[in-house]
Amino acid sequence: MAKPTVVVVGADKGGVGKTTVSRTLLDYFTAHHVATRAFDTEAPKGTLKRFHPDITDIVDVTYVPDQMRIFDTLSTTDASVTVLDVRAGLLSPTLRALRDIGFLEAVKKGQLNFVVFHILGSSIASLNEIEDTSVFTTDAKYFLVKNYFNNTTFFEWDQATYASYFKKFKDAVEISIPKLNEMAYEQVELASVPFLTFVANKNLKGDAANYSFVLRGYVRHWLGNVWGEYDRVKLNDIIAAGNGNANAAGPRVQVVRSAQ
Amino acid sequence: MAQAPLYIVASPSPRVGKTLIARLLVEFFGSSNRPLVGYDLDQREPELATRFPDLVTTIDITDTRGEMALFDRLIAPGLRTTVVDVGYASFDKFFSVLIEIGFVREAQRRGIEPVILFISDTAPLTARAYAELRTALETTVFVPVHNESVSVMFEKADFAPSRPEFGVIRIPRLSAIVRGVVDRPSVSFAQYMHDDRPGGPTEIHSWVRDIFTEFRELELRLLMGRLTASLGGSPVTNFLDAWRGRQTKHGA
Repeated sequence: MAKPTVVVVGADKGGVGKTTVSRTLLDYFTAHHVATRAFDTEAPKGTLKRFHPDITDIVDVTYVPDQMRIFDTLSTTDASVTVLDVRAGLLSPTLRALRDIGFLEAVKKGQLNFVVFHILGSSIASLNEIEDTSVFTTDAKYFLVKNYFNNTTFFEWDQATYASYFKKFKDAVEISIPKLNEMAYEQVELASVPFLTFVANKNLKGDAANYSFVLRGYVRHWLGNVWGEYDRVKLNDIIAAGNGNANAAGPRVQVVRSAQ
Repeated sequence: MAQAPLYIVASPSPRVGKTLIARLLVEFFGSSNRPLVGYDLDQREPELATRFPDLVTTIDITDTRGEMALFDRLIAPGLRTTVVDVGYASFDKFFSVLIEIGFVREAQRRGIEPVILFISDTAPLTARAYAELRTALETTVFVPVHNESVSVMFEKADFAPSRPEFGVIRIPRLSAIVRGVVDRPSVSFAQYMHDDRPGGPTEIHSWVRDIFTEFRELELRLLMGRLTASLGGSPVTNFLDAWRGRQTKHGA
């Protein structure tokens, strides 16, 4: 029987690009023909749902019935991957809740595949959260995501500080999300479509749109770079391993080419 | 699919004759009444736009809006010849955007054939820039231009065209006095060629005739290149030589 994969995307602070990363992941799984569902915890309005309405439900992750909706259906849903976009500031509480309900125990027993994307801010306080989060990720694939959307450096210029956070936890893997042209980002926001759909010049109904070729080109190039990072950390293999078959995830749809 | 040519006149160096060559192109196509549009990226001295205000638009590509104003128009459908004068200050930005957004591939898919007319000179930076662009834009047509007013020497090895049959465009040197006449705002090459010369062809007349012949030959080479490619690589090597021979015989 296939092992479900749960991907948690969270951050300790808002405005670090958490939902943007979730959107790139959903597009990545779509391109690899991986059946995916998502839960947007920005109740009541949601942010992720606006871009992926067909596969996203809005939930309150602190509300037990919604916790049951997510985790009691892991083995019955058609989706092999469940992406949980955790509201800012709730990453550690959510992981604690997962421990309390026995989810982490199930991961430890090999019943579930667990992946954590921890979107970092550029402050010391944010980097300090790595240690708090790592306590819950012993049996997970733990990714430290540096989102360079605002030209931050994450203290790369100070190797001692950088190493004290990023080299301290051997099992934590870094992922770098490059900056996307601001106008391109805003155009996708206005269009309210997935990045892939924007690149394909389609609207949410699938009809031809009239987006700027330049902005589509920027998004295509950027998404290719982001997916290049996911390829580098073998995310596809992690998901496929959860399905018990290295070839379960299909070949990628060639809409986006990995940037050279 | 019908091809709409897009000529990009560029060099990373200033004062090598980019605008002169762009001007010659505009006049060449204009003389045959072909629909044409031009873009001048030189913000400081938009000479091409000043000379042809009805045909050429100045665009500033230093920000995203400017990039959209240019490249979204270049990719738009329309069977008209386009000439872009890439000011040297815009060289890096223009090509980095062109490469990043995947312009050439999309243009070719839409039946637009970008042709980069790259002005050579003796600076190592120029040769390096040419090599880098050739590597980054492997499927793009590159035609080097040797402007003899800039340098007498031309290093074939540094400025090889993307296909041998495309050759090199040679811009002969003009005398200083004649160059001064040519640069006057009121001078139109096409009009000059059209008007009668009681005393016979002048230096300008011969110069323009030779360059227009180079452009005509380039068009033919591009056409033959497409034809050769569509025929799966069948060689058509004697046609241009025969055509050139006929041109010489008739004193064109």
